[in-house]
Amino acid sequence: MFEVMLEILIKTVVILALPLGALPIIIHVERRGAAFMQKRLGPNRVGPFGLLQPLADVAKFMFKEEVHPTHVKPFFYTAAPIIALVVAILPLACIPVMAPFQAFGRTIFPEVFRSDMGIFYAFAASALGSYGILLAGWASNNKYSMLGALRACAQMVSYELSLSTSVVAMIFLYGSNDIHVMISAQTGYWFGFLPKWGVFLQPVAALLFLVGIFAESNRLPFDLAEGESELVAGYHLEYSSMKFALFFMAEYIHMIALSALLIILFFGGYSLLPGLELIAEKAPILLAVLQLTSLGIKIALMIWFFVWVRWTLPRFRYDKLMDLGWERLLPLGIANLIVTVLFVYFRNQ
Amino acid sequence: MVADVFLTILTVAFALMVVFSKKTVVSAFALLMTLLSLAMIFFQLGTVFLSAVQVLVNAGAIAILFVFVMMLINLEQFGNNREKSKVKLVISTFTVLVVLGVFALVINNNIDSLSVVNLTDNSMKALFDKLFNSYFLPFEMATVLLLAAIVASVVIATHEKDESIEQMEILKAEEKL
Amino acid sequence: MSIYYYLAAFLFCLGLLGTIFKKDLISMLLCLELMMGGVALLFILFSKSTGFLDAQLMVIFTMIISACEVAVGLSLIIALYRKKQTIYTDDIKIITE
Repeated sequence: MFEVMLEILIKTVVILALPLGALPIIIHVERRGAAFMQKRLGPNRVGPFGLLQPLADVAKFMFKEEVHPTHVKPFFYTAAPIIALVVAILPLACIPVMAPFQAFGRTIFPEVFRSDMGIFYAFAASALGSYGILLAGWASNNKYSMLGALRACAQMVSYELSLSTSVVAMIFLYGSNDIHVMISAQTGYWFGFLPKWGVFLQPVAALLFLVGIFAESNRLPFDLAEGESELVAGYHLEYSSMKFALFFMAEYIHMIALSALLIILFFGGYSLLPGLELIAEKAPILLAVLQLTSLGIKIALMIWFFVWVRWTLPRFRYDKLMDLGWERLLPLGIANLIVTVLFVYFRNQ
Repeated sequence: MVADVFLTILTVAFALMVVFSKKTVVSAFALLMTLLSLAMIFFQLGTVFLSAVQVLVNAGAIAILFVFVMMLINLEQFGNNREKSKVKLVISTFTVLVVLGVFALVINNNIDSLSVVNLTDNSMKALFDKLFNSYFLPFEMATVLLLAAIVASVVIATHEKDESIEQMEILKAEEKL
Repeated sequence: MSIYYYLAAFLFCLGLLGTIFKKDLISMLLCLELMMGGVALLFILFSKSTGFLDAQLMVIFTMIISACEVAVGLSLIIALYRKKQTIYTDDIKIITE
């Protein structure tokens, strides 16, 4: 009993420490990436290459005065950023960072919440993501915040549909809803060089999922919730210092969790990147580390993709966004689902 | 056992908040918490899939709809000064207590047979095997019902200028001429 | 596990109470949702004690029906609010117009 609890505790600490530790680096990459794309320099004064800038930001957020407007609803105003952060962290619990391994006389699974329903759990937790934003917008008692929150909420609910059609298609294709089975189905190569990733089997579902996670995490081109030109700052207009930082962290952690889900479904999860097998064959003891590294590299590339898109595409107009979600992506997702189901049916015959 | 009692107390507390809270928004969030603690109970009972569906559908979609509509309507303009009829509260409490008493009697008399735990195959495969074989017709009917509900809610809630009234006015104007 | 039977009955009755004595339509719908939760819990408990999976399927149907009910109910409330600027049952006394 004690061993199990210790194991869960260690896993929880690791799974929390990894994204939270990566957060300053991601923010730095985002800023430098933005500067790179706009031919600016970006933050480069604090430390070598400006690498200490995130630390300076954290210090600033911590010591800044908490401005507490008088017209807000106090309880919900304080609760909203906390809820946003907690809900963003929840899906991380079922994401495996490496394959299950034998140690101390039993099989140890690397995820905190071990169940074959892990993928459903992740999406269920991710579906709660709009509450933080909705509460913030409502508690701020401000028209701009309110509009931003309503926009964000409607957008998240609409894009969840096309997201879930693509997930269901992938579950049919792999024939299982266990994350480890999904990943092991994606290990190996076709024709000796092409990795067996789901994205090559289901490019349409991958595209739907990609668009869906952009909308779910409220990133450009779908960041209607905080469109500066129309809504000042959207749902976090009334928030300052650490409360604002919590929203900021929630957005980035949500991004990490959703990218990890995308990678599990379409890019082989923790399965080794091409080339790393050579090292794994020479030194099998390093396998777990190599798997962790592969997942890390994939997530880093995905985050870079987020940054790239953010500074490349302009923002959608709101009605265009809704049209895209309901009239284009949802029918496409359903059609893709039907084709997949027929394919799986005739394959299994 | 401790977990059972804890979850029960949690659910009861939030359910009481839903009914007896003065502010509707507070009761909506209490309902959300009730649904989440019900999902925890489902998990505790071993039905993991249903617990995930509960969070995904009830907490993730239905409760959001409530909050959404509340924000559209702006409940604060009504104020909190509605007169409350004490008689109605007393009568309804009495009625509900009677119903609760009947339920409690029924449960008490059958508690031995109800507390038996028969192990079931809770896997998704077994569940959906049953759903798509024995319960196929109800399932299809449920999908049609959902479709009808979508269409109905869109039709009901869409704000349209009433053309018939305009035409009536035009007709009246023509008659006058 | 037997404590959950009482919880299910309690949730159902509490929802019923709220549906009867609440004044505004949104709160009444919230309490209906509470009743639905009690029913879903009861179905899962039956499935545990009888060993049949059918009861678990009933939970899925319960959720579908409550989703329909909420969607139509809330759109009716919005339509009513547009027309009469109220959501209180006391203010809706006229059946025809």
